[in-house]
Amino acid sequence: MEVTLLIEAMDSSFRVLEDAKNQAVDIMNSAVRVTSETRTIEEKKLVNIFKGAQSRRAILQNTVATFVILFGFWTVLSGIFDLFHLTLGVICSLIISILTHDLLFANVRVGDIKLTIIRFIRYLPWLIYQIFVSNFYVAYLVLSPKMPISPQIIRFKTKLESDISWVVLANSITLTPGTITIDIKDGEFYVHALAKKVADDLNTGEMEDRVAHIFMEADHIYVQDVLDVAPIFGVLRKGI
Amino acid sequence: MIRKTDDIIIRTVARILVPFIQIYALYVIMHGHYSPGGGFQGGVILGASIVLLLITHGLVETKKKIPEKAIALFSSMGVFIYAGIGVLCLLLFGNFLDYGKLSVILNIPPAAARAMGILGVEIGVSITVMAVMISIFTSISTAEDHSKYDKEH
Repeated sequence: MEVTLLIEAMDSSFRVLEDAKNQAVDIMNSAVRVTSETRTIEEKKLVNIFKGAQSRRAILQNTVATFVILFGFWTVLSGIFDLFHLTLGVICSLIISILTHDLLFANVRVGDIKLTIIRFIRYLPWLIYQIFVSNFYVAYLVLSPKMPISPQIIRFKTKLESDISWVVLANSITLTPGTITIDIKDGEFYVHALAKKVADDLNTGEMEDRVAHIFMEADHIYVQDVLDVAPIFGVLRKGI
Repeated sequence: MIRKTDDIIIRTVARILVPFIQIYALYVIMHGHYSPGGGFQGGVILGASIVLLLITHGLVETKKKIPEKAIALFSSMGVFIYAGIGVLCLLLFGNFLDYGKLSVILNIPPAAARAMGILGVEIGVSITVMAVMISIFTSISTAEDHSKYDKEH
C-alpha cells in the first residue's frame, strides 16, 4: 500500500519535473527567436539607413557637379556678365541639374567625380599625342607606293566595367586614325584596324589601362570603397 | 512602342548630351532679345532633347522622368502664361500684351518692363512648344499600339 503510494508520488513528481523542463525549453526557444528577430530587424534598419544615406549623398553630389558644369557652359555661351543674366543662368542650371541629376554622372562612384574629371583632363594630352603619331603613320601608309596595308578586324574582351568607360575607350579608338570601333557587345570590342602595327599598338592595352585609370576600374583600389566601409565597421565593433 | 537601343555607345552619349542640349535650349530662350532665337526655337530644342531620350532610352524610362500628365499640363500652362500676361496688361488699362503697363507692378521703368514681359511670354511659348513637340512624337510613335488596341476591342 505504502509502496504503491510512494511510486505514484514519484511518478507525479517526475511528470511535474518533465512539464517544467518542457516549459523552460519552450521559453528558451521563444527567447532565442525573439532576440534573433529583433537582431535581423535592427540589422535591416541599419542597412536601410546606410543605403538611404548613400543614395541621398549620391543624388546631392551628382546634382552639385552637374550644376557646376552646366553653369560653366552657360557663362561660356552667354558672355553677358550682368547680375540679371547670371541669375537667370543660376536658375536655369539649377532646374536642369535637378531634373537630370542621374544622367550626366549615372555610373560614377560617389565622391569620385572630381578625381575622375581631373584624370580625364590629364588623359586628353596623351590621346592627342597618339592621334598625331598614328596620323603620320596612316599618311605614310597612304603615300607609300606599295601601300603595305593589311586590314583586319580584331576582337578583344575588355576589363573595364561601366558603360561610360567603354564609351570613352571606344571613342578614343575611333579617334586615333587607322582604327575604328565597330561594335561593343557584352564587354567585347570589335575593332577594325588598317595595318598590323596599328592593331599591335591596340593589343598592348595601354589605352585600356589609361581609361581604367581614369574611372578607377579593373585592378585599381577604390579609395571611396574603403571610406564607405569604415563607418559600417565602426558600428559593428560597437555592437560586439 | 519605342524600346531601349542595344547600342551602348549611342545610349551613353545621348545620356551625357541631354543636359547640355537642355541648357543650350534655355540659353536660346533667355537670350532671345539679344541674339537669334526665342521661345519657339528654344522650345523645339528642349523638345528635341526629350525626343533624344525617348529614342535612346525607350518610352518606359522616359515616362518616369516626364510623365504624360505633366506633358498635358505643360502644354496648357504655357498658353496660360502667355494669355495671362496679355490679360494682365488689359487689366492695367493697356492693350492686350502692352508690356509697358507692367511697370506699375514690377516697379521698374517701362522699357525694362517691356523686356521682362517679352521674356515671360517667350517662356510661356517655349513650355507649350516643348510639350506639344513631345506629345506629337509620342502620339506618332505609339500609333501602332493604338491601332492594335482598336482591333482587339
